[in-house]
Parts: sequence; structure tokens; C-alpha cells
Amino acid sequence: MRKMLAAVSRVLSGAAQKPASRVLVASRNFANDATFEIKKCDLHRLEEGPPVTTVLTREDGLKYYRMMQTVRRMELKADQLYKQKIIRGFCHLCDGQEACCVGLEAGINPTDHLITAYRAHGFTFTRGLSVREILAELTGRRGGCAKGKGGSMHMYAKNFYGGNGIVGAQVPLGAGIALACKYNGKDEVCLTLYGDGAANQGQIFEAYNMAALWKLPCIFICENNRYGMGTSVERAAASTDYYKRGDFIPGLRVDGMDILCVREATRFAAAYCRSGKGPILMELQTYRYHGHSMSDPGVSYRTREEIQEVRSKSDPIMLLKDRMVNSNLASVEELKEIDVEVRQGVSSSSSFGTQITLPPV
Amino acid sequence: MAAVSVTAGRLLRLRAAGAEGYWRRLRGTGLARSFLQPASAGEDAAQTRQVAHFTFQPDPETREYGQTQKMNLFQSITSALDNSLAKDPTAVIFGEDVAFGGVFRCTVGLRDKYGKDRVFNTPLCEQGIVGFGIGIAVTGATAIAEIQFADYIFPAFDQIVNEAAKYRYRSGDLFNCGSLTIRSPWGCVGHGALYHSQSPEAFFAHCPGIKVVIPRSPFQAKGLLLSCIEDKNPCIFFEPKILYRAAVEQVPVEPYNIPLSQAEVIQEGSDVTLVAWGTQVHVIREVAAMAQEKLGVSCEIIDLRTIIPWDVDTVCKSVIKTGRLLISHEAPLTGGFASEISSTVQEECFLNLEAPISRVCGYDTPFPHIFEPFYIPDKWKCYDALRKMINY
Repeated sequence: MRKMLAAVSRVLSGAAQKPASRVLVASRNFANDATFEIKKCDLHRLEEGPPVTTVLTREDGLKYYRMMQTVRRMELKADQLYKQKIIRGFCHLCDGQEACCVGLEAGINPTDHLITAYRAHGFTFTRGLSVREILAELTGRRGGCAKGKGGSMHMYAKNFYGGNGIVGAQVPLGAGIALACKYNGKDEVCLTLYGDGAANQGQIFEAYNMAALWKLPCIFICENNRYGMGTSVERAAASTDYYKRGDFIPGLRVDGMDILCVREATRFAAAYCRSGKGPILMELQTYRYHGHSMSDPGVSYRTREEIQEVRSKSDPIMLLKDRMVNSNLASVEELKEIDVEVRQGVSSSSSFGTQITLPPV
Repeated sequence: MAAVSVTAGRLLRLRAAGAEGYWRRLRGTGLARSFLQPASAGEDAAQTRQVAHFTFQPDPETREYGQTQKMNLFQSITSALDNSLAKDPTAVIFGEDVAFGGVFRCTVGLRDKYGKDRVFNTPLCEQGIVGFGIGIAVTGATAIAEIQFADYIFPAFDQIVNEAAKYRYRSGDLFNCGSLTIRSPWGCVGHGALYHSQSPEAFFAHCPGIKVVIPRSPFQAKGLLLSCIEDKNPCIFFEPKILYRAAVEQVPVEPYNIPLSQAEVIQEGSDVTLVAWGTQVHVIREVAAMAQEKLGVSCEIIDLRTIIPWDVDTVCKSVIKTGRLLISHEAPLTGGFASEISSTVQEECFLNLEAPISRVCGYDTPFPHIFEPFYIPDKWKCYDALRKMINY
């Protein structure tokens, strides 16, 4: 059935397109899915972890690619708008960390809950808001998701609780949401994210204790991008094994630059929580290309070579693209087309975002 | 500024319609004048840069303390810290990112000069920072802790209020943490929004056992900070972050002290007393000039400097002379420190008052992002309140 639908859609897409390259693309036979090996996760207090192989369908692959590319383009557009002083205040960008937001979303249901800190634009998108609403919010316009009053750090959506400025403060909140999930009995989980800097805040440990004591369906997720503002993890933490810091809470360390690894780990963690075993901790090892915020060039505490190395070897979008092309799930041209579409989409969203009206006082 | 003037226009129409009672405080052409920039500035939507709501007015240079050097606020802080670490071998500076110089450059060069065991970073844990600082101070060493923004001081609130403030009292003076000073950037900055603009002095004013000090300028900052560090009580020193670069003055290179709990009468006058602290002092200075020019009213300006324990005598003496008092601060109106001053002054000087005491403060809302120009108690709001007092 799926093969038939795919064939039909290929024919239709081939028929509708004008550029010759599209017709060429449509006539190729792509694989429907491919199996990939993913990195084994380090485990803490767990007998077994997520699987080391996973199946990626062409459809999912294209979806993830498009989503990650959209987040990337949106963040770069925000960078541009900030430099033009159209976005003001504080702006924390997550380019480089796309596999985290897209991968997490791929592993949960839209009815699950998510809360994070201020590097939240990617999550706002994956949780369902449009680029237009996000950019309008960043520029303080009424069409923004928080009516222009929240700005970069305070974006909210259904089952997405922001967007929180105070470091670490969102973690006890996430534990509370998990309590509500358990209480409502709808088999939902709460993803509670925080960074490597926040991992040293006292209230995180208070939340760990409560979640474990009451067996709350809370997935604590430490997005370790190696730097808390300008401080590297080695200089801030006595133990940089963030996945073990929950002590009595089982944990796993995940390659946060590989979207498939993130997805599998999230599925594993969500299943763990839904089975009533209590909270679990995931550390996503990832990297941000930009500095901490737009006021931080990001090169005074790390070398440009380091950033370049990550970009060339571990860029999440590149990794997915290579996988898909090499397994014949998609062609380079097709993905380039998606790039172009995404670029245009973000561009038109941003011009919309800068033109609509300011919120009333 | 086109975008802002559009909103200002809408606001004036709102007022005309009598729609928003809350905005009745904003009256008259004053609001429009501060936001309607010349037409040329309005054209380019990309250049919506705000003009600051004040102009820093430096004090005349003083030769009293020896040679002076041109310094801005963060440099004067660095100078004070440098003097402290040089004089006091037990002094240590710690906080988030202080080692490389701090996010506002207040500790630049100190680690190189005094070593990494005297100037060091802490992890991201405000409660831990202050608790740790109290511990250092209790042993007798001088602890200078930095909280990166005053908005982040709240995890440490328990440590400050329950531990630091009560240590001497509860141990019957056996122990104390008087050698603890907490420094923190404070106040609005133009783009800070909810969590980089707060002025939390009122929360701490309610706590006996600590001192809270806020300077208005580099010269004041160095003297007051040195006094805080040497004071035998735990002190919180809030630094107006908008002045870090904007305020430049001649500041003595050598250490000097400005006494705590002493307000300063910056300008003498006979008709109205204006009280403020920090950045707001410069706003009321302009208001005083406007009042003199437009209304022929002579204002006495007082910089409170120390919030607690505050200089009741200076303020009351002034109000007895003038009969009118206006207090202004960025922090929200309800429960702001102006309410304490107002209450005490009416107790002490009731029969001297010619008009109700006026408080021009921020609104009772979280500190807004794009609405900041409307939120802050700018010179127009203060001038308007002053006019009402005169005509009472």
C-alpha cells in the first residue's frame, strides 16, 4: 500500500512540476526505508538501552530534513534581524542543535508535554508554531505567539510551556507537569529540558528527588552543548557525566548531533516513563554554533577551529543528508529543492513578521 | 522610532476615549513629546533604536582624595575592587564569569593581578554563591560575591535574609558575616525585559540586618563600594547597569570612603524635595531643571544612596523646609521603597506638608520588553506629578 502511494505521489509530483530537474527526480526509484546503525548510548542504572539500529523511512527522513533545515534557516534569519536591530533584547539561537528539537519531537506524541529554558525557538517550531508566529514574536509584533509581549525567551504553544528566562527554574515546573500527567492518567510524559550550566542549580536536584520519590513520568533532558555561556563544562562541574547526575534516576547519554540516535533514545525514555517506572534522565551531547546569545560572539572561550570542526564533521543536517543520499532515500537535488523552499518560506515569514502591527499598550 | 510613535499615537487616542483608566497617569503632551522623534528618524523601520530616558550628569571633579582619572562606572568598580584586594589580603572575589573580567567588565585584570585563588568563577548557582560567601565571611575573610544580574538574586534570597542578616543576632555576636558584600547589576537598561532590568531593593529593605546601597555615578560607586566592603555588616551593592558605560567622571585613583546611611543633597532648593537613587537621580535632576525653567519652582534634590538603613533626618529636614516631597524609582509602585519613605515622612513631618507625597514609580507589572519606554518613570511623568503637587 505504501509503495503504491509513494508511486502515485511520485507520478503526481512529476506531473505537476515544471523544472526539468524535478521530472528527473521523480523518475528515480528511491528506497522506501533504510536501516541505520546508531551509536550505543552510555547507560546509568539501566540494564539495556535504546536499540543500536533503527529504520528510517523516506517520508520521515524528508520530514526531519525539512524541519531541521527550517529551524536552521529560522535561527539564521533571527541572527540577521537582530543585527539589523529589528529584533532587540536577548536572543539565544540554537543552530547546531537541530537534531535535539526535531529528534525529541520525533520520539514523542503531540499530546506529550515539553518545557525548556531560553534557547527555545527550535522547540517552539517543533511543537507546532509557525515560523511566521515565531519571527513575529521575536520582533515584538502582535501576530507573535505571545502577542509580541514575550519576545525570544517567552514563547508558548499547546503542550509547550516555554521559554523560561531564569536558569533552572523550569525544571521543578516540569516535574509538576509530570505530576499532572500521572494524575490525569492519560499516559502522557513531560520532557523537562535544561542545559549543562543549569545542571549545577540546586532546584534541579530538588526536582530529581521529587520525581523519583513519586515516580513521575518526567524525562529530564540535559542539552549539553559544552558551554554554559562562556564557561566550559570542565570548569563548571565536578562531574561532567550529566546523565549520571540524577544518581538514583537511571540515565543515558545520547549523541545529540544524530537525529536518529535522539529519536530512538527519546522513544526508549518515553516508553520507560509510560510504563510507570518513574523518571529517567537523558543527556544530549550537542553543540551550538552561535555564542550564548547574540551579545556573545562565541569565540572568546572556544576556537573557531573547534566550531569549524563540529560543523564539518558533526553537523546534524549534513549527517542526515549524507545518510539519506547514500542509502538512496533521497537525492541531492531533491534535498537542495527543500533547502530552497525552506529558505523562501523563512524569508517570506520574516518580511511578514516585520510588517504587522505592534501590540497595543 | 516610527513604530513607537505609532503606538504613542494610539495611546493618546486611547486616553482621549477614556478607555484605559490605568493609563490616566500618563497625561498630556509630555508623553507624545518624548516619543515623537523628528520625522527623518522615523522613516527607516530598521533603526528603531531607543533614546535613553536620562542624561548622565557628572559631578564636578574633587581634588580631596588626590589624583583622579577619567573612569566610567565599571572602571570605578574595578578600581575599588583593586584597592580592596591590595589592602586586604583576605579579600576574595567570586561569582559567575568574574575571572575573565565579568559580563560587564567590572573585574577585568584582577585575576591576573591577584591570582586565581583570589578571583575565581563559581558554577551557575546563586544560592550556593551567597551561602558560600557567608561561610567565607563568618571565618573573618572578606568575601565579595557577584550575582550576575539583580534579577537572579532570588535563589539566594533565603541565604541573605535568613542566614546573612541574622547571623550576628542569633549567635549573640559570637559570629557575624559582616565582611560579606554582594555586588549586582541593577535597573533598567533599555532592552533588558523581564529578567535583566529589575530593581529588587524593596525586597531587601524589609530585612533588618543587611545594608543596601545604590550609587548614582562612578565617583559615588567607588567610595560607597569601598565603604560596603569595609562595613561590618553584610551589604548588597546594586550597580545601575545602564550607567556602566554611559557614566564617565573623574574618579580618584586612591581608595576613599563615602559614608553609608547618609543621603546627599545634590542641589538645594526651597519649594519641592525630590528623592531618588541610582539612575533615577539623573532623571530628577532634569526634572528640577525643567521645573525651574517652566514653573519657576526651586527643587531640592536628594540622592538617598543607602536604602537601608536610610537617612531619615536629611529627607525630613528637607521636607520641613519645602513642604513637598516627590520620590521616584523604577521598581513597581506597590511596596516599592518610596512607600516606606512616604510613610515615615508623613509621620515625622505631617504638619509641614503642603501637598500629599508623590510617588512616581514603575507600574505594578513585570518589567516589559517592548513597552519599556512606557513603563519607566521618565522625566515627563515626574514633571507632571511635580506640577500637580505645586498646584495642589
